[in-house]
Amino acid sequence: MAKKEERANGELVQGTLDMLVLKTLTRGAMHGYGIAQFIQQVSDEVLRVEEGSLYPALHRLEVDGIIASEWGLSENNRRAKFYRLTPLGRKQLAKESEKWSRLSDAIARVMLSGVGPWPAQ
Amino acid sequence: MIWWNRLSAKMKALIGRKQLDRDLEEELRFHLDMQQQAGAHDARRQFGNVTSLKEACRERWTLARLELWWQDARYSVRTLSLNPGFAATAITVLALGIGVNATVFTLVNAVLFKDQPFENSDKILYVTGTRPARGGDYQSISYPDYQDLRAQSKSFESLAAFETDGASLSDDAGFAEHYRGLRISANGFSAIGQKPVMGRGFSPADEAPGATPVAMVSYRLWETRYGRSSSVIGKTVRINVEPTVIIGVMGGGFLFPGETDVWRPLIPAAEFAQRDHRFLTLFGKLADGESLSSAQAELSTVAWRLAREYRQTNQATGIVIRSFNQLALRRELRYMFLAMLGAVAFVLMIACANAANLMLGRAVGRGREISIRVALGAGRWRIIRQLLMESVMLASAAGALGWFVAKSGAGMFARAIASTGPPPWLDFSLDYRVFFYICAISVTSGILFGLAPAIRLSRLDVIRALKDGGRSAGTGRRGNFLSGFLVTVEMALAVVLLAGAGIMIRLFLANVTQPIGVDTRNILTMELALPTSRYPGDREQTAFFDRLTKEAAAIPGVRTAAIASSVPGTQTLTYQYQLEGDAPVEKAAVPRVEGVVAGDGYFPVLQTGVLRGRDFAETDRAGAAPVVIVNQLFAAKSWPGQDPVGKRLRLWHPNPRQAQSAAAQPFATVVGVAPDILQDSPEMAPLIYLPYRQEPQWSMALMVRAAVPVKTLGDALRRALQSLDAELPASRPVTTLDERIDQNRWPLRVFGTLFTVFAAIALALASIGLYAVVAQSVTRRRHEIGLRLAVGAGQSGILRLVFAKGLRQLAIGLAIGLPIAFALSQVLQQAMDMPVSHVADVLAGAALILSLAGILGCIVPAMRAMRVDPAITLRHE
Repeated sequence: MAKKEERANGELVQGTLDMLVLKTLTRGAMHGYGIAQFIQQVSDEVLRVEEGSLYPALHRLEVDGIIASEWGLSENNRRAKFYRLTPLGRKQLAKESEKWSRLSDAIARVMLSGVGPWPAQ
Repeated sequence: MIWWNRLSAKMKALIGRKQLDRDLEEELRFHLDMQQQAGAHDARRQFGNVTSLKEACRERWTLARLELWWQDARYSVRTLSLNPGFAATAITVLALGIGVNATVFTLVNAVLFKDQPFENSDKILYVTGTRPARGGDYQSISYPDYQDLRAQSKSFESLAAFETDGASLSDDAGFAEHYRGLRISANGFSAIGQKPVMGRGFSPADEAPGATPVAMVSYRLWETRYGRSSSVIGKTVRINVEPTVIIGVMGGGFLFPGETDVWRPLIPAAEFAQRDHRFLTLFGKLADGESLSSAQAELSTVAWRLAREYRQTNQATGIVIRSFNQLALRRELRYMFLAMLGAVAFVLMIACANAANLMLGRAVGRGREISIRVALGAGRWRIIRQLLMESVMLASAAGALGWFVAKSGAGMFARAIASTGPPPWLDFSLDYRVFFYICAISVTSGILFGLAPAIRLSRLDVIRALKDGGRSAGTGRRGNFLSGFLVTVEMALAVVLLAGAGIMIRLFLANVTQPIGVDTRNILTMELALPTSRYPGDREQTAFFDRLTKEAAAIPGVRTAAIASSVPGTQTLTYQYQLEGDAPVEKAAVPRVEGVVAGDGYFPVLQTGVLRGRDFAETDRAGAAPVVIVNQLFAAKSWPGQDPVGKRLRLWHPNPRQAQSAAAQPFATVVGVAPDILQDSPEMAPLIYLPYRQEPQWSMALMVRAAVPVKTLGDALRRALQSLDAELPASRPVTTLDERIDQNRWPLRVFGTLFTVFAAIALALASIGLYAVVAQSVTRRRHEIGLRLAVGAGQSGILRLVFAKGLRQLAIGLAIGLPIAFALSQVLQQAMDMPVSHVADVLAGAALILSLAGILGCIVPAMRAMRVDPAITLRHE
């Protein structure tokens, strides 16, 4: 699982997707559709989560014991599979966020170091 | 943590596979529906390939590699069960091969690997001396050397010593009994960490000169003689006439170093101080961190130092350290067992060749199936792996059966030798080594015989196979060649095995089935040895045996009794001789003859009589003219065509303590000719008989012929013995003559039987192999045969066709195998010292038997070929 950089066109690669999913689940248990919707909305439609990457990721995280699943009823009374964070998941999230902020600080430092464009605040 | 979660999640998923799939389906459907609801009309398209998404998710839950193997396994089982006849045949063939191998390995395991039955026995090593001049490295060690080795070496925790002796134990608890005894140093038992279960062990005080004689006894002695009574401790008995106190009883199964029931301390006697009085074997437990090689190095250095210091006595004297197994088993027995391993390896190879052929035959019908799998994307290695899995499964099933074959085989062997001869520490149970051996050879054979068909099938020309329905798979010139090659190899292996086994069998059984020459039924024997301390001279010995014979004859039920130096079928004495009138020859060329010293009534007990002349009489006593009776073979050899009665010859022992020259010996006159009686040799041999009174021996056997069932007289005989001398035990248990002869022959009989079994199995396998191949070819060529019959070939023509193929393979196999068999037979003949004619017989016999078996294997398919109805075969393509 190589952790690559986020691509400019808004697609997420695996490592970052994991982190975002975990962060989403800190708000409570959600089903797959809900997670995708949340990420899309909160990021203002910049980040789009494809089903093709979301569900394999969810299942992988479940097998690894980072998230746990439970069947329940959705908002419109349909049976859906809800995911929640496990203690191991919280630890994992903390690790990932820490790594991410270090990474983004580093990028920022490089970008501020010389002359040249830097996005306006 | 994560890997553990993964593992357990995947394991759980293994079981709940279906539920997993349903959940996945539902989950994805939910997402799709929600998207549609939210208004994305092209949700379907956006969703993408559902199937591959499901696959991607499902994959997270699988143990990929395990899944593959499991899939292959289930597939293999299915295809095998589709063809149960084939599977059953293959398993049977392999089970025979593996089972026989496992049986022999169990025996070999017992003989070559096992150790003493107490803890840490693998750390207990034995030290003997080497003296190249005396020839050999099982020499004993002297007491001063022992003390020096003990003081100067650190490789052992403590070094102890023992000397074997015999212990005749007598007391008021029953008849005097003779046991194997041991003189052991006081630290002996503690050196190997063994304590008595009752009483105490030896202390240094017990081995001080002048100490009260004490002894420890074995559990089984305590059980059989004293009924496990605790009063045995402190009891005074007589061991070799000397009053001895029993101070302890060792634990059950402890018979150190082997079959020993009486242990006494090593009390120094005057001759112990002599450095060249060698009589001890040393032993001890390795100190921590030491190994056999480090101990060997250290003690060798000490021995070398002693050799330099005591040049007179210890020159060129070294030491050898061995494990118990190496000590107890001489080379010959090891080689015998290794030879058996070789023989059964051949059997297994034949079985594998058979199985390979069966698989090749089956491959014919599988071309279609394989090509479909290849077309669907199976890689070549996947196909090979799955095919190999089939063969390994067959072999494993055979291995499981083989376990039971080995169990019963080893059991039969153990029972067969139970009453006669072998040391009891031979334990023929199937332990973990046998299990691993079976697993190893099962898997190896499976891969071995499955490899060729697997590779052939995987290399299939897919297009062609799919086109003509896969009929041509496994056939074609290469397929036939392989098949024929395998059968030829089988035949060659079989002929070599038959020849080798045949020679061994000939050697063994020839000896065993030889008739003794007299009626040996209803005779009871008791062997004894008179201690020279109480019977120092000829007069005392003769008087004793006279009285014994009279007492025995007086027992009710006994018809006749007599004594002899050896009973029929057993080992004899050896004499050098010179016929009257022969020129004296030099020492090395003096002829030898086997002899038996016989008491009065020897021949009547055997219900035979002297054929010419007279039997020994009262007048043939010490001081009277020396007489001798010869057997027919000796007479024919020494005086061909003449009457031997009245002829004279000189006799003397080959290695007398006093130098005896031929000239000093008086002439003995032949007074009678006896019938040929077999003693301890493969065939009847020339034999002479000397009268007991003129040639007294201190060790004789008493034979009584009884009118009643002979076994009932055992106690009466012993009571008669006891009445004459309460201290004197029989040196072996009282047995019938037949039993005694069997005891002498048991190794030969057992090994002979084993090799017969191997040969029979090999023969059966080889002929099944040939049958299978010829039958398959007939089936394959049914179309062709039908055609031939239709265009006018006669039945005999078809017969010739079928036989030609089979016999050609048989002939080639023999052509390859016979030279190898010949070479093997030369080796065996040299090693076993057999006459050349026997070997030639065996080779011819092997070739003949195999040919017959081969022809037999061809007959059934040939008959089937003849019964082919052309109308039917030509119609059904």
